[in-house]
Amino acid sequence: MPHRIVLSLTAAIALALSLIVIPAGAQSDPWAEVDPSNQTLVFWHNHTRNRQDALQAIVQTFNESNPYGITVTQETQGSYADIFRKMLGLLGTPEVPDLVVAYQNQAATYQLRDALVDMTSLLHSPKWGLSAEEQADFFPAFFRQDIFPLFDNARLGLAPNRSMEVLYYNRDWLAELGYDEPPRTPETFKAVACKAAQTPFSKAGGSTMGYQLSLDASRLASWTFAFGGDIFDYETRLYSYDSDGAQQAMAFLQGLYTEGCARPVGERGGALVDFSTGRLLFTSASSSGLPFFKAAVDAGAKFDWSVAPLPHTTPTPVMNVYGASVSMPKSTPERELATWLFIRYFTSPEVQAGWGQAANYFPVRQSAAQLLDDYFQHHSAYKTAFDLLQYGRHEPPVPGYDFARAMAEEAMAAIFAQGREVEKTLTKLNRDANVSLREQMEFLPSTE
Amino acid sequence: MPTRVLRLPEAIGRRLRRREAREHLIGYLFTAPAVAVIALFGLFPLGYAFYMSFYAWRVRQGPFRGLRNYGKALGEPQGILIFAGAVALLMLAVWVWRRARRAGAGRRLPGLLAAAALLVAAGAAAVTGWGRMLETGDVKFLNALPVTIYYALGSIPLQLAIALALACVLFQHLRGSAFFRMVFFLPYVMPTVATATVFRSIFSSRDTSMANQFLALLGLEPQQWLAESRPILEILFGWQLPDYWGGPSLALVSIILFGVWTFVGYNVVIFLAGLGSISGALYEAAELDGANRWDVFRHITFPLLSPVTFYLALIDFIGALKAFNHIFVMRSPLAQGTVNTASMVIFDTFYLANQYGYAAAQVVLLFLMILGVTYAQNRVFGRSVIYD
Repeated sequence: MPHRIVLSLTAAIALALSLIVIPAGAQSDPWAEVDPSNQTLVFWHNHTRNRQDALQAIVQTFNESNPYGITVTQETQGSYADIFRKMLGLLGTPEVPDLVVAYQNQAATYQLRDALVDMTSLLHSPKWGLSAEEQADFFPAFFRQDIFPLFDNARLGLAPNRSMEVLYYNRDWLAELGYDEPPRTPETFKAVACKAAQTPFSKAGGSTMGYQLSLDASRLASWTFAFGGDIFDYETRLYSYDSDGAQQAMAFLQGLYTEGCARPVGERGGALVDFSTGRLLFTSASSSGLPFFKAAVDAGAKFDWSVAPLPHTTPTPVMNVYGASVSMPKSTPERELATWLFIRYFTSPEVQAGWGQAANYFPVRQSAAQLLDDYFQHHSAYKTAFDLLQYGRHEPPVPGYDFARAMAEEAMAAIFAQGREVEKTLTKLNRDANVSLREQMEFLPSTE
Repeated sequence: MPTRVLRLPEAIGRRLRRREAREHLIGYLFTAPAVAVIALFGLFPLGYAFYMSFYAWRVRQGPFRGLRNYGKALGEPQGILIFAGAVALLMLAVWVWRRARRAGAGRRLPGLLAAAALLVAAGAAAVTGWGRMLETGDVKFLNALPVTIYYALGSIPLQLAIALALACVLFQHLRGSAFFRMVFFLPYVMPTVATATVFRSIFSSRDTSMANQFLALLGLEPQQWLAESRPILEILFGWQLPDYWGGPSLALVSIILFGVWTFVGYNVVIFLAGLGSISGALYEAAELDGANRWDVFRHITFPLLSPVTFYLALIDFIGALKAFNHIFVMRSPLAQGTVNTASMVIFDTFYLANQYGYAAAQVVLLFLMILGVTYAQNRVFGRSVIYD
């Protein structure tokens, strides 16, 4: 009798659990019953020449190999800014593409109109998503970058590639100056840069420079990270351009300028010209510029060069990683799922390894490194930079960041070119940037 | 019989009215396509911008804001009112000055003194009002207005003067004048982005840039050009004047030079057309009277070209207030916003800050400014134009 009671109870509990769990499971995966078959998708991107060819090869392989008959068409639609402007005019219309490259701040702007798919449920879908292992295979900084705290931590994109801010240096000249490795601390960096400004490189003539810094908001962010600060406070959800790290970094750079050891870049591409002709020892730029630096140096003063992290006060380097992700404008569940399947394919390790080599971006999957051994051997600077990806940190994914960037660039110009007081300038920058941010967030779709 | 007499004119009148109505209808039908195009592509966008300017519009339409977008741009009403009062005083001063000039000798001096006093009061009110507007309004937008005026005043007189001189030379039918006419016109038809990129290289801050090489030839120090935010008077004479009194920045002067280079050719062509329409008999008569070349230019060519000069000044001024492409290509953060004309600031508000409602309010303000300046130009200079 007790045996039967136990059995009955067990059966009742099992039945109750099945009633609870099965519908809950079905509810937790809203994509389980969606059929992505035979969808034709449009992918807007900014890639041209070799990158577009490589992307076309990826798309073609996907079209031929996916079992659902999904067809993706890739279209170059101009620069990031061109695509952004086109998208702004098309948001909320059926004319939007199914997939679009977008920087985080651009995606945040689209989301002001509630126009993008939150990929969280797709990512975690038991049927279509990525396993926990696969998710952990992404570089953490890349993976986190498309989660938007200002939009209830919605995932509005996924990174298919990334670049990183690195310090380019002339290794031969460094050796002539008596250093066998790039400077790791700001103090050493200053000493070397100032020495270089007085001691021309043997393969170059004319005036020389220790360091050239383009007035770019990403440079400001990178140096702030290197000094242990951040330009955004993720707790208060406000800019922190006046943080201690930012102030120390800008004061340090201002010191370099006033002592004649550094100069601002006066024209686009100016640093590349000076570096490649052996007149500039250090400059910081995106790792995606590695092939351009190689070509310029090979055509210029022909010296040994490499990349390194920015000198830092933190125990380990803090590297500014950036790059556009891919976002999905809202359409139908079938199209959205089909688009997700392409994203899942695009970010798989094998595809990432090939895409990284062809486009000279970094793959977003750590396991892709195993497939890049040959490439690493022939591209030592790429390998050096790749090894720094673990230290990545990103700039804030907030709407209107472009406007804050423009303000930051003017603040940098005021500090470096006009010698304005660092604290006052950054305080004003922070105030203005936060006013702009508040205006951006004034009426979110979710708050109405 | 009398009834028949009365009926005939009535019938004729009705027929005439019908014919008139039909003619009107046909006229309207003929103009309808043009009216539709103007309404659709001219008036509707303007009206829609006006509508947007009353809303918080950020990618999508937000709540109604009334005049707050305008308040954000111009600051609190007190400042705006004081500044508007200054404009009114200025207009009054001009009116009094004109009346005084026409008045008899006894009333001329008091009139001129009154005009001077009004002018001083207008200046004081303008400084006070503008100061308040800067305190409470959008500094970026407000600072863009004097930059725009500097750009217009710096480029238009220079390009008109050079164009007039070149047109007079080309009108002599010298050998190769057709070739030079084409050469002068080329900058106007070349893609602005391409030529602005070349100018950016010429006015680079590099020691090896063409502009600095030229200075080196003259034994002068290299300049930062497009990267220089200091005012021109400070660079030339070392005068450190407050606010806008130091003149445009060297960066803006470099851009002005580009503007002059681009538009001179167009002005030359229009001036040449104007020169061709002046009767040769007048020149012959002047020659018989013993007038020299300067006299001929001063008393015949220049006055009779005044409709053309007026037209070009008007068109150039509107163009200068709307200038965008080359400034966009040539601007640098190192110029510290000293080259940001109103169009640039509106672009940034629209595409960088995505504040469409506020950008629309700025557009309306710029439109009103263009309208006001054009009206003032018409009133002030329009009277000096000689049409016969």
